[in-house]
Amino acid sequence: MKNDPGPTAPVLSVRGLSVRFRMRGGRHIAAVADAHFDLAAGECLALVGESGCGKSVLASALLGLLPGNARTSGSALLDDGTDLLGLGERSLARTVRGRRIGLVPQSPAAHLTPVRTVRAQLEETLRELTGARRPALRPAAEQAAARASFPAGHLDRYPHELSGGLAQRAATALALIGDAPLLLADEPTTGLDRELVERTVDELRRHADGGRALLIITHDLAAAERIADRVAVMYAGRIVELADAERFFGEPGPRHPYARGLLDALPERAFVPIPGMPPELGALPEGCAFAARCGRADDRCSVPPPFDGALACHHGVRADGEEPVHA
Amino acid sequence: MLELTRITAGYDRRDPVVREVSLSLAPGESLGLLGPSGCGKSTLARVAALLHRPYAGTVVLDGEPVRGWRHRAPRAQRTAVGVVFQQPRLSADPRLTLRELIAQPLRATGRRSEVADRVAGLAPAVGLTPELLGRRPHEVSDGQLQRACLARALVLRPRWLICDEMTAMLDASTTAALVAVVESYRRESGAGLLAVGHDRVLLERWCDRTVGWQECSGPGAPQESMSPTG
Amino acid sequence: MAETALGHPLRTTRRIRVIASAGIVAAVLLAVLLVPPLVQLDQQAVDLAARLRPPSWEHPFGTDDVGRDLLLRCVYGLRVSLLVGVVAGLTATVIGTAVGALAAAFGGWTDRVVMRLVDTFSSVPHLLLGIFIVAMFRPGVGPVIVSVALTHWLSTARIVRSEVLSLRSRPFIDAAISGGASRGRVVVRHLLPAVLPQAGLAAVLMVPHAMWHESALSFLGLGLPTHQASLGNLVQTARGSLLAGDWWPTLFPGLFLVIPTLALAGLAGAWRERINPRRRSELML
Repeated sequence: MKNDPGPTAPVLSVRGLSVRFRMRGGRHIAAVADAHFDLAAGECLALVGESGCGKSVLASALLGLLPGNARTSGSALLDDGTDLLGLGERSLARTVRGRRIGLVPQSPAAHLTPVRTVRAQLEETLRELTGARRPALRPAAEQAAARASFPAGHLDRYPHELSGGLAQRAATALALIGDAPLLLADEPTTGLDRELVERTVDELRRHADGGRALLIITHDLAAAERIADRVAVMYAGRIVELADAERFFGEPGPRHPYARGLLDALPERAFVPIPGMPPELGALPEGCAFAARCGRADDRCSVPPPFDGALACHHGVRADGEEPVHA
Repeated sequence: MLELTRITAGYDRRDPVVREVSLSLAPGESLGLLGPSGCGKSTLARVAALLHRPYAGTVVLDGEPVRGWRHRAPRAQRTAVGVVFQQPRLSADPRLTLRELIAQPLRATGRRSEVADRVAGLAPAVGLTPELLGRRPHEVSDGQLQRACLARALVLRPRWLICDEMTAMLDASTTAALVAVVESYRRESGAGLLAVGHDRVLLERWCDRTVGWQECSGPGAPQESMSPTG
Repeated sequence: MAETALGHPLRTTRRIRVIASAGIVAAVLLAVLLVPPLVQLDQQAVDLAARLRPPSWEHPFGTDDVGRDLLLRCVYGLRVSLLVGVVAGLTATVIGTAVGALAAAFGGWTDRVVMRLVDTFSSVPHLLLGIFIVAMFRPGVGPVIVSVALTHWLSTARIVRSEVLSLRSRPFIDAAISGGASRGRVVVRHLLPAVLPQAGLAAVLMVPHAMWHESALSFLGLGLPTHQASLGNLVQTARGSLLAGDWWPTLFPGLFLVIPTLALAGLAGAWRERINPRRRSELML
């Protein structure tokens, strides 16, 4: 079922990525367990799930931004074979962040330096990442702003003088400067109005169409539906379903019972919640983490379902709605 | 009835964020107030919950005109309106366990004898286990904390409920669960609801009727035909 | 990871510092509480035959100009200084917390009048004000405590006021009001518990500060009566012998002032780090 990324290697290839936090008293929390996915150029993958399911931890692991008590295992390879998880802080800062991976932040207002104009921040980043010098700097900054549809007339403003939408574009412009082949957007639409959400994701989509790989992390299913080519659903630290977005949101719909429940909870659909609450990452059950909330649970669920590249469920439905034979 | 008439309110008298807004809500009715963020709808929600004194305009609660806000409002009027805010982290005292958080209004109104019964009744309704009730806000997720905040708003059985972007920070399933809790309380108690938000799809699914911010706020002109009359 | 390599030793040195501070403070408390009842020696015992002896096995800290044992005098001096410091520090914190919380809770013109008063007091150098207050009384422990307490509540009042003001606009206070909480209940149940860690920290930080002020006043001859052993008095009476080259009557009381106050400040620093909101959850879910 894997999407063929074409002749070239995927921009990002994640294999068996796990993140464990060591807590006080020797406890461990498995925030991310055994994540597998590929991401090709020009493709957008949406990683969706409830807050606390581990999706932000996964993003931080890719950028090397985890706190000191975290341990990672597995691999996250870029197209030239660089393993992000094996790099030290120095090489991440020098060669990866901004250059290989552009980060579109969650709250642009906090991401921009409040005391400097947008132009000054763009020029500084240009100097740092591309080595551009005066007098080429000024037109380059204007060009960088234009790429993210940031109006040139607002370049000399300070972040607090910008509306939420413009601040988001300024942050996106900064993320695009290094011409990174991979863009990572961590909850880029939290707290925005629907209209602004749509504008923001449409702009991000444009950058994917321009040939970048885009990993968007969100709990907003409507935003994911609008932007994604493929959807990865995360539950209790594991990716439980990886599917084509059109099939996932349209017909025949998701195969994992949790993903079905999530979609059914939307006000434009059944508006029915999934019973219960997700388990604590520090106290996961032995078997399938969703079994306690699942209407289909039976004794097969006492062992954790393996992820076959598309689904981690003992009784996920097939395209025709029938239960598959594999166990 | 909960009637707000030509309310002007804000944080700077020269530049109020709410200008001449009128709304009215019948008992048992649910009204969705739709507006973009930053338009002043949260301020209006605070005026309606008797938490923010407007510069001008009148609020009539169950036929009784409101004369004071915050502590100046009589306790009976204040507790007739339950309120749930957008950010559960900021609306929970970080030192209290969830059980105490829910029980606070009972203790504040001298009904501590009812604490055990009411909390035991409400917790399962909002989906909180006894184990979660013993935790403090930093030990639970946003969704779990908002469940406790909703229980706190319901614990005094208010006749009116104001939900200010109650689900803006939450995922789809928790949103649907909290809306279901509000609706089952309203069915059983006949309480009226003012739900403030920016998500049209959600509010239209949730409420009997929805009004846009533009429709109920006058541009400062005294006559505004769109204002619902009370 | 790079962060761990950096983070670990930092945490260890901090821990050593906290443990050392706690050890010193514990030793000081034990000495001050246990030595007078257990050691049946008279700190006032004059021995004119043994005047200004340098440190020896018999007198580890040496003797002063009338032959009194300096180790014993230092312990008694520390006892008095600590008493003044703790009582004055606590009094100042209670006054400051009350004034700050009331000003913020009432707001309006109460707040304005109170804070202008605080500003006025702050504009006078507080040592000068302290001197003025002790000068109105006979020398003694009471006037010194009053003087130090009355000049040191101002900063606490400011801190508590701004803390309460920022808390007052939080939605959880709105929720309490909406739940029927009275004004008093909001202050007692929600506002005070939130500022108490800050106020407690201010109190601990105030103790060494107050001890220094006691010493300064005594050194100037305005504090405690000269026969009473306080650290300031000990340094003051030793001034003459220092000029003659006898270093021990100045050095040991000085160390007794510096080391415990630094240890207290170290503990207060660790406390501040504990209550700092920066220390958020280690998980970033």
